[in-house]
Amino acid sequence: MNLKLGHRTFTDDLPLVMAIVNRTPDSFFDQGATYAEDKAWERVRLVVEEGADIVDIGGVRAGYGPHVDAAEEIDRVAAFVGRVRAAYPDLVISVDTWRAEVARAVLEQGADVINDAWGGHDPDLVAVAAEHDAAVICTHAGGLSPRTDPFRQEYDDVVAACIETTVGLAERAVAAGVDPRSVVIDPAHDFGKNTFHSLEVTRRIGEMVATGYPVLVSVSNKDFVGETLGLPAGERMHGTYAATAITAMAGARIHRVHQVRETRHLVDMAWSIAGRRPPLRAIRGLA
Amino acid sequence: MPGVLALLPEYAGLEDPVADIRAACLDAVGWLGTEVTVIAGPQGRRVADHLLRTTTRTAAHPSYLVVGNGSAKRVDTSPGYVDERAIPFDDDLGSRLRAGAFSGIDADLARELWADTEAIAQLDGVVPAGCACSVDYEGDPYGVRYWVARWEW
Repeated sequence: MNLKLGHRTFTDDLPLVMAIVNRTPDSFFDQGATYAEDKAWERVRLVVEEGADIVDIGGVRAGYGPHVDAAEEIDRVAAFVGRVRAAYPDLVISVDTWRAEVARAVLEQGADVINDAWGGHDPDLVAVAAEHDAAVICTHAGGLSPRTDPFRQEYDDVVAACIETTVGLAERAVAAGVDPRSVVIDPAHDFGKNTFHSLEVTRRIGEMVATGYPVLVSVSNKDFVGETLGLPAGERMHGTYAATAITAMAGARIHRVHQVRETRHLVDMAWSIAGRRPPLRAIRGLA
Repeated sequence: MPGVLALLPEYAGLEDPVADIRAACLDAVGWLGTEVTVIAGPQGRRVADHLLRTTTRTAAHPSYLVVGNGSAKRVDTSPGYVDERAIPFDDDLGSRLRAGAFSGIDADLARELWADTEAIAQLDGVVPAGCACSVDYEGDPYGVRYWVARWEW
């Protein structure tokens, strides 16, 4: 089935790269490097040049930190979305938020996708997305409230839990009026999960792909990579690439990342090896 | 027309490296009649069959579709690298195509130069001698000499 992300439709033979653009002073990887508008603007320009299909703009750090209310979040992202929309009419714009009122503000500025990274915390969010014909990313956050870390959380079967939650949220989104072509599921590595859980989700991501919903994975530089390799946030890119290659090979459709150019090459190559994506241009031995 | 395997759908990439050759071939094949005799080796036949399937032809006249090409040893980017005999051979073959003179093509030299001329040689006795030829495409974008040519009598 084609994937409809707001104003753009994508055929199912190509993987998509979603570039993280943080308008936060304290996100774990970039430590506020793109908090200032001019820095975020430059980041958008760079990731588009590097081959991003989607930008995912976030105004609140996922982890613990100073409280950011809805007004402040809107202030950080809404006008910026409008500016990006005007400058890049073909670019898919996603906004990472769990709040319906923030979703409404950014959709009015031209956003295409709401990345509900905290798994349906605000039940009104999907109705807002439906009103604006936007896409929704349905995540498994293990039932945690926004911005909380897991503590001794366990599952009988973490992948089964991811599927049950995300498919349930997806069905709820469709029931609320979201276009069935515009619903994406995401197991949400690290969210409500320890490192063993995230490794297992990575290993078994094909089971989520088998649900038929397009799968987004967000593994970029996360703690499960760091704990697996014993590396700090700035040194996890190779582990990230390994996890990205595994999930791309299994059919994950959207890859949410910091390193865009490398990921573009990696996921395109993995999809071509898997036989889903034709080579860009093949003449060797065929002339 | 040339038996370029990149024309086949199983070898299609996101971008078409032979778009201009494909356009010329489709144009020429579409010009043929509904009844087409294919003269080609096994790979060339696959290319011909694909192009025939992709075109709609309405003309009533019986037609032939011949698949072949010049040398693949023309330049250092050619699949067979360089053989200094390749370019003179192709020049001669091009002249023969234009003149409708298909007898006397050196089959041994063609084999050495990775030229596919067996089907072209079979036009001797099919195309009337001296029949006018129009060349729709001529080039060697990947170091192999291609022609898309038509004869009408």
